[in-house]
Amino acid sequence: MHWLLLASDATNNSAYSYFPIGIQLIFAAGFVAFMIALSQWVGPKRKTNDKLQNFTSGIASHGDARQPMAIKYFLVAILFVLFDVEVIFFYPYAVNFRELGWAGFGAVVMFVSFFLLGFIYIIKKGALKWED
Amino acid sequence: MNAIILSALGGIVMMFTGIFTQNKIVIKNIAIITLLLLLIGNLLHFYGIYMLHVDVKDMLQFNNFGLFFNTIAFTSTLIYFLLSGTDITKVGINVAEYFALIFFVLCGVSILTSFHNLLMLFLGIEILSIPLYILTGADKKNLKSNEAALKYFLMGSFSTGILLMGIALLYGASGNFSIESVPSTTSKVAEMANSSILTPLGLLFVFVALLFKVSAAPFHFWVPDVYDGAPSVFTSFMATIAKAVGFIAFIFLFESRIAELGPSSRIIIPFVIILTLLIGNITAVFQQSVKRMLAYSSIAQAGFMLFVLYSNNDISSEGILLYSVAYSFATIGIFAILIKMKDYTFEGYNGLAKKEPLIAAANTIFLLSLAGIPLTAGFFAKYYMLLSAIKANGQNALWLVIVAVLFAAVSVYYYFRVIQAMYFKEGNPEIATTNTSFKVILLALAAIIIFIGLFPTVVLNFLYF
Amino acid sequence: MEIMKTLLAFIVLWPLVGFLVNGLGRNYFSKKRIAFYASEQIFASFIASIIVFILIKNNGAQGDITYFNFIHIGKLIIPFAFKIDQLSAIFLLIITGIGFLIHVYSAAYMQQEEQAHYGRYFSYLNLFIFSMLLLVLGANYVIMFIGWEGVGLCSYLLIGFWFKNDNYNYAAKKAFIMNRIGDLGFLLAIFWMIAKLGTANYSDVFSNVSQLSTTDITAITILLFIGAMGKSAQIPLYTWLPDAMAGPTPVSALIHAATMVTAGIYMVARSNVLYSLSEVAQNLVAITGLVTALFAATIAIKQNDIKKVLAYSTVSQLGYMFLGLGVGAYTGAVFHVMTHAFFKALLFLGAGSVIHAMHHEQDIRKMGGLKKYLPITHITFLIGCIAISGIPPFSGFFSKDEILAAAYAHNPVYWGIGVATAGLTAFYMFRLYATTFLGSFRGTPEQAHHLHESPSAMTIPLIILAILSVVGGLVGVPESLGGHHALHQFLSPVLLTEVKYETTHSTEYMLMGLSVAIAATAIVIAIVTYSKKPQISNSTGVGKLLENKWYIDELYDAIIVKPLGSLASFLKNVIEKSGIDAAVNGVGKLVNYSSRQLRLLQNGQVGGYILLMVLGMIVIVLIWVNDGYIYRFLMNLFFAK
Repeated sequence: MHWLLLASDATNNSAYSYFPIGIQLIFAAGFVAFMIALSQWVGPKRKTNDKLQNFTSGIASHGDARQPMAIKYFLVAILFVLFDVEVIFFYPYAVNFRELGWAGFGAVVMFVSFFLLGFIYIIKKGALKWED
Repeated sequence: MNAIILSALGGIVMMFTGIFTQNKIVIKNIAIITLLLLLIGNLLHFYGIYMLHVDVKDMLQFNNFGLFFNTIAFTSTLIYFLLSGTDITKVGINVAEYFALIFFVLCGVSILTSFHNLLMLFLGIEILSIPLYILTGADKKNLKSNEAALKYFLMGSFSTGILLMGIALLYGASGNFSIESVPSTTSKVAEMANSSILTPLGLLFVFVALLFKVSAAPFHFWVPDVYDGAPSVFTSFMATIAKAVGFIAFIFLFESRIAELGPSSRIIIPFVIILTLLIGNITAVFQQSVKRMLAYSSIAQAGFMLFVLYSNNDISSEGILLYSVAYSFATIGIFAILIKMKDYTFEGYNGLAKKEPLIAAANTIFLLSLAGIPLTAGFFAKYYMLLSAIKANGQNALWLVIVAVLFAAVSVYYYFRVIQAMYFKEGNPEIATTNTSFKVILLALAAIIIFIGLFPTVVLNFLYF
Repeated sequence: MEIMKTLLAFIVLWPLVGFLVNGLGRNYFSKKRIAFYASEQIFASFIASIIVFILIKNNGAQGDITYFNFIHIGKLIIPFAFKIDQLSAIFLLIITGIGFLIHVYSAAYMQQEEQAHYGRYFSYLNLFIFSMLLLVLGANYVIMFIGWEGVGLCSYLLIGFWFKNDNYNYAAKKAFIMNRIGDLGFLLAIFWMIAKLGTANYSDVFSNVSQLSTTDITAITILLFIGAMGKSAQIPLYTWLPDAMAGPTPVSALIHAATMVTAGIYMVARSNVLYSLSEVAQNLVAITGLVTALFAATIAIKQNDIKKVLAYSTVSQLGYMFLGLGVGAYTGAVFHVMTHAFFKALLFLGAGSVIHAMHHEQDIRKMGGLKKYLPITHITFLIGCIAISGIPPFSGFFSKDEILAAAYAHNPVYWGIGVATAGLTAFYMFRLYATTFLGSFRGTPEQAHHLHESPSAMTIPLIILAILSVVGGLVGVPESLGGHHALHQFLSPVLLTEVKYETTHSTEYMLMGLSVAIAATAIVIAIVTYSKKPQISNSTGVGKLLENKWYIDELYDAIIVKPLGSLASFLKNVIEKSGIDAAVNGVGKLVNYSSRQLRLLQNGQVGGYILLMVLGMIVIVLIWVNDGYIYRFLMNLFFAK
């Protein structure tokens, strides 16, 4: 029998008996939503300028949060994340150093050399050059 | 394995080439040589010659079908390099990186044609997609290109999220990433996981994510904007090789699992096929730009390729390979010409036949092939797909086949608009100067398309040698 | 067997090669070379046919000779095979022999044509011979049908040979359309056979005939006969044949008298096994033949065009042959085909000679007294007239007598009408003869000045045919006259033994005497009436009716052509314009319109796209869970118990 059929089958109690609970949940949520909407609707509203002001930590806001920054900042940041995260792979290797033996050592050397190639590439490309 | 290693190495080689030289011709030639090596390496795999013996722990499995698709993809890329290589070098300043990214895409292709584990599927798709995002935005100074890249990235991430969700659900059902543990009609696991809702739901999510990758409706919305905005050379690449491989991934995963989606897969797949055909074909009719028309046409072609999911038999597997060849070759040819044009609208093609008769003739053959006119490869490609549907479902598939044929008839309208513009309208098309080798390769490509149109089995026989 | 296979292949291929060579090289070869090449190809076929005939005569017929599979679909196999037996061997001889003579004759007759048209003419003639050979040699109805259509095509091409004359083109079209109506019947018969028996091979069909119900057999035979009606110009599809006289005279001799029109006879004779099993079809064949014979003979009396008279006489004689087939005298019918081929080819070629001499004047009222200008033509034409009138011991007597005897045995009324027709035949033939050759010349002085005997290339075929017309009947001398009917014995393996006539020899003598007497009387009346003062004034009453061919053409025009024409114009103006065109354009407009609307979905907003994608996913999930379950879930919820 298909799993969906189970829910619809009145003779099978296991799934069908949960149905009233679902209905009850919907009613509960509906009731809350209804009450909030009702209070909004019937309650008195007074809009003043002060009430609509942005308000953070008791200080009036000033300036724009979106200031342009040098792209190099992001580049260095993302490269840091990239290489830093890859270093994490050394931890599991260090833990299993003995078990992995020479084959593991070869693999890690390969990994490091690819790693190094990446470094050479970004340096050669001038990605880390701060001044133009 | 050769293909994966060589394509990744090829990418790195191209990256470092960019450091040591800025000479565009040298870079292009190195890329072509590397690609040839990749192609040879892949062919050697057919004969059991490997570079490295890597224990892949059953995460990858190689078969002739996948290897043959690799060959198709690499050959198409080679033709693409030969025809449009010069244009790739003109997109921006990071010439070598463009080639490197293309090699990484090919690495993704190689993984997708051999994955045997859901993780590998995910990795393959990501390795395929991320370079494409970058290539889309390669033309940094062009706002449209930037916009397209961002859109592609956003929507691609969205679909990746869905894919991961699906994989997670499948993992939840079986506690394993191997696709062996995803129940199929042939494996015993089916009985075990039958009662779980996770399997079909997970498969449905993966299904939807893959539909996104192959640009099937209603997940096609990224296609027109991205294809239109991306630099034309890269549109050519992503509309062909990167797209066709999505179907291969589809086949590997769903070949024996369509039934696991539940009984309604009988409705979902025809629904998707028809919607894709409808939106692709009908919307293409009104386009004014040939490039955008081709974007919609690629959606429409995907509708035909989706038949592979509908029929799921040997003929459809053969048909998808033939379709990949026919569609990729023709599209690469059309784009190679489009790139040379100054004006991408239909009017831009007016009178091309008078000015460049050879190019116009080749373009006509490519368009005829896309439209599926007999004596071209496109005809047999469509024929095999429809035939497979009939073989699979007999009379019940007839209505679907008829609908597909009707939409193919609609497609003739917009393909022939280009032919009409080239041959029957007066105008002075502005086309970049082309050298002789470009024309020779173009005509050779047209000849190949006609040859396959006459002897389609020649291509398919490769599968069985 | 192997030698037979090779021989037959060559017999068929030679004319085809001739067609191709002459057709392609018509602009490059000289006329002499064209004529020589075309005739030589047919002559080679003729010699090979003689060898085949001798082989068949000595060794008897063999099975089908298969070359390759022509059609192979599922269980249906239609081989490209030839059947060579006594019946087809005789037809081979008639076709290639008379065909060769007519090629030779044409070489002189068509001399005034331009080189390219000359080449075209001979290539058509060769193609015709090829098709006709295919028709008689085919071992199944499909191969026969190929030949059948091929001869129809050649007939069309040759009737319209002088395509600059519109009337000739109309005649060609008429012939083609009339034939196509008949062909439809033939085709349906083939389908019926294939549907019921799964084969169209003669041998398989005839040996499995017991599997067919009487209805099937009747339907098949009647449909086949409809095909024969078209090709052999029987009522109601005969009107094309007189019009076909628009073609060059040798063509009329070859196609519209000696060979093609007898294809229907061949087909019915070939299918004699089927016809013998259907009383209805046999009666239909006999009555159609009889009515056609009489009807055409009455028209021929009042015709003034030398070729038209011969054309109606052909229709009439074909009617005779069908009468023979209908009463079971298959041998008689084939016999008559043979003798008729001799004397009718002779008459047409004679007429051609006259026309040649008269500079394409065909109206017999403007001739007369040609006896002294065209001595050879005159003698041979006279022999032809005597032969067709059935005067012993000329060939026509024996064949006609055999049919009449069989008709008498079947039903004396048939015999009576047959003899009356024979009398009419003798009358109109000698009316033609007397008006043309006797009396004094009535043409213009200029024509009189140019009157001359035709060249030897034309007279030699005439002489050969005249000899054949005289002695041709001797192969079928009936037992009552001391012969032993060689033809009958020769054909007996192929054609069913006919109804044994319950007539004694004395009855036969009486019948023969009567028919000869009537014919002789008619001849005397005709000569006396027309040799001195031919009828020139227009006729009135019945005569006028006959002169206008019973107004059959006008009748067809009124009841078939006109209504069809108005239906066609209705379909064209109303149904096509406002129905089909509107639908087609509407589809185009609809596609364009929906394209414009669908395009709006692509609004460029990523948020919108993702929303639509999510909606799409929801739809897919809905479809996925639906599949009847949601429906059943709701049903259970609200209507459970």
